[in-house]
Amino acid sequence: MIAVLGLVVGVVAGLLVRPEVPAVVEPYLPIAVVAALDAVFGGLRAMLDGIFDDKVFVVSFLSNVVVAALIVFLGDKLGVGAQLSTGVVVVLGIRIFSNAAAIRRHVFRA
Amino acid sequence: MSDHDEKTAEDRGDTRDGGGESGDRLRKELPQEVPAAAPAAEEAPKEPEPEPVAEAQPDPGPRLTGRQRLVQGLWPPRVTRAQLIVAVLLFGLGFGLAVQVASNSDSDSALRGARQEDLVRILDELDDRTQRLEDEKRGLEQQRDELENSSDQAEEARKQTIEKERQLGILAGTVAAQGPGITMTIVDTKGTVEADMLLDAIQELRAAGAEAIQVNGVRVVAGTYLADSGKGVSVDGNKINAPYRFKVIGKPQDLEPALNIPGGVVQTLEKEQATVTIERSTDIVVDALRAAKRPDYARSSSQ
Repeated sequence: MIAVLGLVVGVVAGLLVRPEVPAVVEPYLPIAVVAALDAVFGGLRAMLDGIFDDKVFVVSFLSNVVVAALIVFLGDKLGVGAQLSTGVVVVLGIRIFSNAAAIRRHVFRA
Repeated sequence: MSDHDEKTAEDRGDTRDGGGESGDRLRKELPQEVPAAAPAAEEAPKEPEPEPVAEAQPDPGPRLTGRQRLVQGLWPPRVTRAQLIVAVLLFGLGFGLAVQVASNSDSDSALRGARQEDLVRILDELDDRTQRLEDEKRGLEQQRDELENSSDQAEEARKQTIEKERQLGILAGTVAAQGPGITMTIVDTKGTVEADMLLDAIQELRAAGAEAIQVNGVRVVAGTYLADSGKGVSVDGNKINAPYRFKVIGKPQDLEPALNIPGGVVQTLEKEQATVTIERSTDIVVDALRAAKRPDYARSSSQ
């Protein structure tokens, strides 16, 4: 419940504050958000499976974000930034879908 | 999340069930086993798990379904370390999400966040588009010029047609005319003036370049005929009586001498005891009109 509240408060704060995104972070923010979404869905699935562990969640969340940003950064340096971020988004999207499917089976039993 | 799954499977020993690795394996073989600690009410909806991954995993927790775990996690709210940490991370996620969405929905920052190659591509596309629009504009301008020219030409043709109609109308007697000319008055006290004399006068005037003639309110045109009619003269069927007043538009310096030449119209008339007076004027108005008549047989052969 507190976690859901945290998400809601974060969205509201982001909408209200509307901070200027620093130029350095700008290319990585969308990918980082998608990676974090992936981690959240994984964590939700783990919770439904009854194997949730906060330490693992924190590590996977942060490492997902960092690795995704790193891949994009590397891609930019190599000159394949657009393609690589597309690839990252595709992979994360597939994972999100499979996690969502598992969550759906738990919640709806279908 | 596979590492997550394995790790937690090992990490989380279940305290309530008291089951270790061996207990789990045992339970897998005996699916009908009812855990002693769990209330019977919670066990009621137990069903075979359709998720194959979940089936393969040894379940270390109490025999709760995922749905029940979700409900438990949501309500009642418990302030635990895990919930707080997850809340902080989710706050970060929500914040980032909202910021990204907000900055993406601004149209200009959509360009600001774009990569260099994307910008180059967008610029190329814009250039292409500009080129296409420029071509289209040029074509349309050319079309507009052509239309303007043609409408100018049509306007010019229309003006010429109107002008021609006016000129022809003067000749045909369908429009009034005014201009320099002469007025000739023939006073015939003895009734000796006949139609042929007036016709001579008209012919003379025409020969001298008269452009519009009317006699006592009757327009003289190409088809005009004159005939004697009792004491007077009939012009195109309209009976007129002396004095005969000719209004003639033309060059006065030509018309007057043409009438006055020796043995000409004036002398012939004066021989018949008629009095002829000729006045020059700079503004003669010939306002007798004649209805335009559609020829019955003759048709224009030009177009």
